Amino acid sequence: MSRLQAEHLYKVFGRRPDEAVAKLEGGTDRDELRTDGTTAAVIDASFAVEAGQIFVVMGLSGSGKSTLLRMLNGLLEPTAGRVLFDGQDLTALAPRELREVRSHKISMVFQHFALFPHRSVLENAAYGLEVQGVPRAERQRRATEALGLVGLAGWEKSWPDELSGGMQQRVGLARALATDADLLLMDESFSALDPLIRRDMQDQLLELQKRLKKTIVFITHDLNEAMRLGDRIAVMRDGRIVQIGTAEDILVTPANDYVASFTQDVDRTRVLTAGAIMAEPEEALGTTTPDGTVLRTESDIIAAAPATVTADTPIVELFTPCSRSGVAVAVTDEEGTLIGVVPRARLLAVLGEPEPGADDGPDATAKGPEAIKVSKTAQTPEAPEGKVIAGA
Amino acid sequence: MPRIELGSWIRSGINFLRDHFQWLFDFISKVVQGMYDGVHDVLAAPNPLLLAGILAVLAWWLRGLVPAVLAFAGFALIDSIEQWDEAMETLSLVLVAGAITIVLAVPLGIWASRNRAVSALLRPVLDFMQTMPAFVYLIPGIFFFGVGVVPGVIATIVFAMPPGVRMTELGIRQVDAELVEAADAFGTTPRRTLLRVQLPLALPTIMAGVNQAIMLALSMVVIAGMVGGGGLGSSVFEAISSVDVALGFEGGIAVVILAMYLDRMTGALNQRVSPLGRRALAKQAASAVGGLKVLQWRPATSVAMVGVIVLALVAGGLNVFGGDDDGQKVTADVGKGSTVKLGYINWDEGVASTYLWKEILEQRGFKPQLQTYDVGALFTGMAAGDIDMQTDAWLPATHASYWKQYKDQLEDLGTWYDKTSLEVAVPSYVKDVKSLDDLKGKAGTFKGKIIGIEPGAGEMKIMKDKVLPDYDLNGEYTLVKGSTAGMLSQLERSYAKKEPVAVTLWSPHWAYSKYKLTKLADPKGAFGKGDGIHTIGRKGFSQKQPQIAKWMKNFKLSEKQLTSLEAAIQDAGKGKQQEGVRAWLKKNPGLVDKLAPAGGAGTTTQGKQAGAAPRIGYFPWDEDIATTYLWKNVLEKRGYKPSIKQYDVGSMFTGMSAGQIDVEFDGWLPVAQKQYWDRYKKNLVDIGPWYDKTSLEIAVPSYVKDVKSLADLKGKADKFKGKIIGIEPGTGEMQLLKSTVLKEYDLDKEYEVTNNASPAMLAQLERSYAKKEPVAVVLWTPHWAYSKYQLTKLADPKKAFGANNEIRSLGHKSFPKKYSEFYGWLKNWHMTEQELASLEQAVQDAGKGNAEKGVQKWIDAHPGIVDKMAPVSS
Repeated sequence: MSRLQAEHLYKVFGRRPDEAVAKLEGGTDRDELRTDGTTAAVIDASFAVEAGQIFVVMGLSGSGKSTLLRMLNGLLEPTAGRVLFDGQDLTALAPRELREVRSHKISMVFQHFALFPHRSVLENAAYGLEVQGVPRAERQRRATEALGLVGLAGWEKSWPDELSGGMQQRVGLARALATDADLLLMDESFSALDPLIRRDMQDQLLELQKRLKKTIVFITHDLNEAMRLGDRIAVMRDGRIVQIGTAEDILVTPANDYVASFTQDVDRTRVLTAGAIMAEPEEALGTTTPDGTVLRTESDIIAAAPATVTADTPIVELFTPCSRSGVAVAVTDEEGTLIGVVPRARLLAVLGEPEPGADDGPDATAKGPEAIKVSKTAQTPEAPEGKVIAGA
Repeated sequence: MPRIELGSWIRSGINFLRDHFQWLFDFISKVVQGMYDGVHDVLAAPNPLLLAGILAVLAWWLRGLVPAVLAFAGFALIDSIEQWDEAMETLSLVLVAGAITIVLAVPLGIWASRNRAVSALLRPVLDFMQTMPAFVYLIPGIFFFGVGVVPGVIATIVFAMPPGVRMTELGIRQVDAELVEAADAFGTTPRRTLLRVQLPLALPTIMAGVNQAIMLALSMVVIAGMVGGGGLGSSVFEAISSVDVALGFEGGIAVVILAMYLDRMTGALNQRVSPLGRRALAKQAASAVGGLKVLQWRPATSVAMVGVIVLALVAGGLNVFGGDDDGQKVTADVGKGSTVKLGYINWDEGVASTYLWKEILEQRGFKPQLQTYDVGALFTGMAAGDIDMQTDAWLPATHASYWKQYKDQLEDLGTWYDKTSLEVAVPSYVKDVKSLDDLKGKAGTFKGKIIGIEPGAGEMKIMKDKVLPDYDLNGEYTLVKGSTAGMLSQLERSYAKKEPVAVTLWSPHWAYSKYKLTKLADPKGAFGKGDGIHTIGRKGFSQKQPQIAKWMKNFKLSEKQLTSLEAAIQDAGKGKQQEGVRAWLKKNPGLVDKLAPAGGAGTTTQGKQAGAAPRIGYFPWDEDIATTYLWKNVLEKRGYKPSIKQYDVGSMFTGMSAGQIDVEFDGWLPVAQKQYWDRYKKNLVDIGPWYDKTSLEIAVPSYVKDVKSLADLKGKADKFKGKIIGIEPGTGEMQLLKSTVLKEYDLDKEYEVTNNASPAMLAQLERSYAKKEPVAVVLWTPHWAYSKYQLTKLADPKKAFGANNEIRSLGHKSFPKKYSEFYGWLKNWHMTEQELASLEQAVQDAGKGNAEKGVQKWIDAHPGIVDKMAPVSS
């Protein structure tokens, strides 16, 4: 069973919201409602998040993603629909019970950090524990630990306004982690940071996630960020979820023009993997190398290939080998068995415009999209226990 | 545009509040006064320099060494200019008002910040409080709270509250919404969010509001001084009303020192209490270098507390050993320590006569308390009963407007000086102007202006209505409206520059001794006869202090006596008025005994059954209200404790026959109340008639020319719209009218008799009378309506209304035995038509709820009436 489930969530602001929901269910357009002065922020959103997953909600501003996030921990009450967390219906809870759930099981990281300026870094990190009623000594110990986890050991006595933006957000992260909540809601948490720091923070989040295995719902308007972080991604537009899927799903089979136009700017060479675009090994059989050797067996192909990669390797790493040789790059599994090849022509073909629709999309790949794997671990291909940020 | 009577609605509202919520106002008054007394006792107890030391230690703790030294110097200066006591009174007032303001404003602000509706509702109220001129509610405030510190505190609270509320609301609203959301997201309760997140972050703004509130409170103290708030406000007010630049500046500078101290301290308190402030402070301290560090070092809170406590203990200790001996020899203990509150206007003759009486009363064993007031506040305060008497009322002209308004609540104790005059005065260096006639054609010299005083003053009215037209000065001169203080400053200014100036003035006035002025002659007598200076008491004062009232009635000073007394006080110097009086009395031996002969104290005579408490019932009819209150008054003078209660006819007779009512005075027999009498007479006793000129009738205004008798009504239904305005349907008169009279005159088809309460009938009469419309009303004699309006009693040639009633006193059968003395008085009691009519009129004039005052006024106008009604053989 999924850790977190949203079932047909609606949020309507304005007068007579229930009527508006009924209208929306009957097929009324969002713009028609707006003329009555009611705003439908979220319309019929349903999804499930598995334990240990990072679920990214991606959308432009005004698409309702922040509203959706706030319904997940009850900061906003859904107009209709249910939120199930570990099977418990959060929408049915009394305010006091809901606060209890929020203080113990769900924590949140904010876009502008939302650190309390009148509390030190340590007091900020310990805030959630203080609300839980944890004794002072223990909450200081746990807050110090959390700060260490995010690389801020030694900054406990500082004040928020003495830290850089990135460091402040780490305090925000430490505050969220300190409570040991299983569900982490992150509202555009890295959007206010400059690009380099943002990348660092993304790396660090992935790193932490590897160890802590939290269930995370992450809101962003940056598709690249979504693709890097998300195990699954929901794309929102005008209050509705238009597509849910893995990064490749969205890139390779966008549900509609809107999603497709979105993916244009994505650096697909870093998202798509060798496994996603490779051809059957047979395709390389019978080809001739520049030195005249004819490749007859799979071992010939592996021997002649300019590089041998795994299915997870992002295609960005295939360009250099392909430029050196006309022979296809070999793709092997963990045991070294050849599972596919990437010829130069194929590599170039996937960089073209994606064409929506299942029939003539970029399925130069012979495998279905369900086989495509995300390349997010590709940045640190060699099991990077050693590459943890200092202080972790 | 129709005139919207907003003002009079407010007035009735105020009266309503005063009449019905007096208990509430008394309670508030007690609480505020208690707080003020408490704070003041603490502040006034220690030696000034010790308290200055305590305040300096506080400054050291909050702001550092330099501010501490400055604070000490400032307070020492206040002490050395002899404004210390006043400053402490003011500080107490500000602290009490400030504390109440904060206690009210901060929660209100919090509420407003969390609730849009409250915020929207509060905003206009706060606007109102902030901008309504303080005087507008200060004077009515006296009705509720009396004169003194309390209305000052209330006015200050009203004025200082808005910034407190606004800044609190603003501060909380300003807290970053994301922070509040963050708190919420971690499961914080709303209460905790408020206390741990919103309030700490809003604290700098809230403290700015507190600071503003306290500063505004200080700026109100001068105004509070005008209603007896005391303190520096009184000093400043006293100074400006006598153009005493020196005293004014000293009072003013003391206000400034207090203001700066409070401002800096509340500002610094912000840094101490708010976490953000503490951080800024720590940063600043860390960046300071070398010698500066010493100056910026501040004692820790604990050290400062110890310092304050040590100084406070020293102060307390000294006070124990101190103790005051304000020796005053009592020559004849007439007063037996009873308190008399004397109010005075800060005019020389007022000061002189008031301090003279203070001395005399102290010698006679009274405890007089003195307080100076603005004229308006003085009269209002007396009317409200907070001040017992004053000796400086200029009547009939100068204080006419106040007297007219409050005369029902005041009593005139007589004139003690009559050599006064009103006049226009010019400096004597203006050579060619000796009389009002000389002003003509010299508008150029005086820039066309005569400097006047308060527009409401009697003298201004005379100037405008009489003097200017009589001397034909109207076109040439404008009479400048202003204030007495303003007129005197203008005089001072012009006099210093030797410029010609004409001012309205009066004698006696200290200006004549300070400047060389020419009183302009008034050959045409336009100013009329001068005012007499009267002693005025609050209503009931002569009853409470008959001895003082008697002394006052005989109190007279000659011009020579008054001027020499004023001079003696002037010689003694400011603050030593009483010593001046004593010196003067020494030169006038025997005067005290002449002015206040001891012995033969005229207490009122007690009746034989003094202490008895007869229960008197009455009907809400004019003659009964009047006579019941009259007897209540008389009985109380005889030591009885009567209780009175209003009934309708039925319950009166039932109650009386059951013995719950002892007596009533309004039995209309043999006709009007016959049915009741017949039913209950076995339990009742007829004490006897006191009035026999009664009749029942229908009356019309006399401008309805052709209706003189009931028969004339016939055929004129159109004129009266077919209506006769009746009274309560159960009364004998109405029954008689409906069953007999209308039929007898054949009017029952034409006219309808409407059922009303008597007051409604009278209101209709009033309304029609004002519009000169024909109206026919059911009336009876005696009735005050006959003295108020010109009415024709319609003749009753067929005697349909039957024989005339007599008004009788009726009692429960046990009455003659139980209250034999009262019974005797009632048996012999008679009133003439004229007496009854004037008594009813007096009660009517006093207004609703003030019947007792009306009665007292009538008794005063009928000397000896009490002895006649209730003779006591001694």
